[in-house]
Amino acid sequence: MKFRFGVEGDLTAPSEDRLTVGDPRVVDFLAKLARKLLAPAVARKFPELGSLGYFLRPAELHRAVAAMQRTDAMVFPRGNVFHLPPANVDTIFVYSWALSALAGNHNVVRISSRSAGAAEVILDALNKTEADPVIGRTQKMVTYGHDDTVTAALSRWCDLRVIWGGDRAVDTIRKQPLRPSARDLTFPDRTSWALLSVPGWQAADPAARKAAAVGFANDAYWFDQAACSSPRTVFLVGAGDTAAVRSEFLDLLLQVVDQRGWTVDAAMAVEKRVNAYELAATGAATAVDFPDNRLTAVTLADTDQAPRRWIGAGAFPFAEAGSLLDLVPAMNRQDQTVSHFGFAENELRAFATELGGRGVDRIVPFGSALTFGSIWDGYDLPAEFTRLTTLHI
Amino acid sequence: MSVFTLSQADKEARLLDELSTLTDFHRANCEPYDRILRASGYQGASGVAELPWLPVRLFKTLELKSIPDDEVFKVLTSSGTTGDVSKIYLDKAAAAEQQRRLAATVQTVLGPKRLPMILVDTRAMLKDRRSFSARGAGVLGMSTFGRDHVWALDMDGQVDLAALRGFLEKHGDQPFLIFGFTFLVWLHLYEVALEHGLDLSNGILIHSGGWKKLIDQAVSPEEFRKRLSGVGLTRVHNYYGMVEQIGTIFLEGPDGGSLYCPDFADVVVRDPETWAELPPGKPGLLEVVSTLPTSYPGHVLLTEDLGVVHGIDDGEWPGKRFSVLGRLPRAEARGCSDTYRSAA
Repeated sequence: MKFRFGVEGDLTAPSEDRLTVGDPRVVDFLAKLARKLLAPAVARKFPELGSLGYFLRPAELHRAVAAMQRTDAMVFPRGNVFHLPPANVDTIFVYSWALSALAGNHNVVRISSRSAGAAEVILDALNKTEADPVIGRTQKMVTYGHDDTVTAALSRWCDLRVIWGGDRAVDTIRKQPLRPSARDLTFPDRTSWALLSVPGWQAADPAARKAAAVGFANDAYWFDQAACSSPRTVFLVGAGDTAAVRSEFLDLLLQVVDQRGWTVDAAMAVEKRVNAYELAATGAATAVDFPDNRLTAVTLADTDQAPRRWIGAGAFPFAEAGSLLDLVPAMNRQDQTVSHFGFAENELRAFATELGGRGVDRIVPFGSALTFGSIWDGYDLPAEFTRLTTLHI
Repeated sequence: MSVFTLSQADKEARLLDELSTLTDFHRANCEPYDRILRASGYQGASGVAELPWLPVRLFKTLELKSIPDDEVFKVLTSSGTTGDVSKIYLDKAAAAEQQRRLAATVQTVLGPKRLPMILVDTRAMLKDRRSFSARGAGVLGMSTFGRDHVWALDMDGQVDLAALRGFLEKHGDQPFLIFGFTFLVWLHLYEVALEHGLDLSNGILIHSGGWKKLIDQAVSPEEFRKRLSGVGLTRVHNYYGMVEQIGTIFLEGPDGGSLYCPDFADVVVRDPETWAELPPGKPGLLEVVSTLPTSYPGHVLLTEDLGVVHGIDDGEWPGKRFSVLGRLPRAEARGCSDTYRSAA
């Protein structure tokens, strides 16, 4: 067991420390952490940490705390929260932990031994941030091997267990029982899409098209297109010269990738080739195009052939649909985020209404796919991290 | 009799013709393959390097065969590092042909007669179902080119010195064949021969299986040959081959140090950035082509091995001389759904 943050000791020992919802000591600590993450040198190297720093600014924190308050009940911390974030999306654990800490919970976060890069920078920043001693006593981040006994003990300790990392992680962790009063907050496998309005694109001026490509490039390439919110298939929606729109979109996308200096290595290029050929072999794709290792374009036979598994960094299946409503049958519970460009508000609203919560939890503009929010995967996280006491006199 | 006879120009003309015909045949008989070529817009090739290559890993995820189910005579499997296995479907004709061509290839260095043979392995391995497919098939396949076999390792994987001594007493004054995986040869034959003064000077060694473990021990291919010659073993032939192109092996020539392509096969080294063919001296990703895969579309394969062509028509045998340099690392995905690998 390696303590990455917080005071070392028995993780499940009873604690005398009490935090409140929106505890000033926590707010103060998170705000100081935000300043570290927003330092230009950090944000330049890991742009995702810039977004995280933004999320943790005092104004945002106060907004989040205010949103936790209710008029019909008293709001208190849920209690002990055990977080199991994914290994590879380095920043997720901070969002879920920070919201939980803000809600006044005692937290234990299991940090993967495979964590690297941005996660190490965050841990370093956490440890260098000046904190009230209560922070270290109530907020712990640890790395331990495949040790069921630790996971079991923490599962018996917590009031809420937060499991990220997809279906298999959820199934594995769920084998460890919780206390009867506790429950799980699970983040299973998700898929995300991009919706591009053909008439909307044609109506946009060059600057707007360019901005769309920049936003989409960030959404797609930041986490090797493998985060649950990373857009995979691009649906070209509506009438018009879709071929021309697609080709201009891809040209602009490649320009952005060029400007950023992003690369895709040979192994990834082969991976994408394998996956694209598989789609072709099964008839799901009618054309595969490899203009550059950094960009693979796949033409799908139909909207319902959009792959829900990861097919590589910079791999974009395309499918065409007459309208957003035509896409509704192709969406299901696994689908999380659709990022959009060029649609009118009433189109998007009608789309969401027709989906009726049976799929798609987030509908956001290009460039915001990865922007974490306190409502995530259909959960109101601040509500999940708190408990309510009713008082009637 | 040799299968290393064609100059590069002659070979390419022949291969282009035969492989283009094979491409058409597989398109007509293997629908998934045809779909891939259609989707990628393949229009025909005017050179071997323009033939449409498939990533070898596709055989792990797709069922690719150009024969009806009732003509499947043998299904070969490879064990991969990730647990996926390639499935290779052979009909009777393809199975016979691959064996015949493999024989012709090794007879280039062994001569037409079957030689007494040392298998640098253990018979116990044949019983281990998990490791059987790759290692066992290799050993069994090669064992048909020898006679009066002796296993260098006993059932516990320990060197059977008595068996080796007995073999050498009986056959050591005539040419004999030694076969094994490179690392096992180093560990269990070379070191034992050195320690016990075994005379292997009439041996012809054929070995394969990659250099990774040896490189880890700081033994280069050159060092390997040099040290083996120290125990009299000078006729040493490494080879490179894979189950996805069964029957085709690229064999180290008598000059040592590089692999040669038999007349029915060739290699293309590709730039992993542009995918264009690279000239000699430039390392890249290895593509292997062979006319043997007639029952499945494995005639043009992009491997995940890195290699380099050293020269063309400038060695002991004609055609390309090349080396395998190692493996391309597998692409590592980031992502939310990375899962807890084993248990919590």
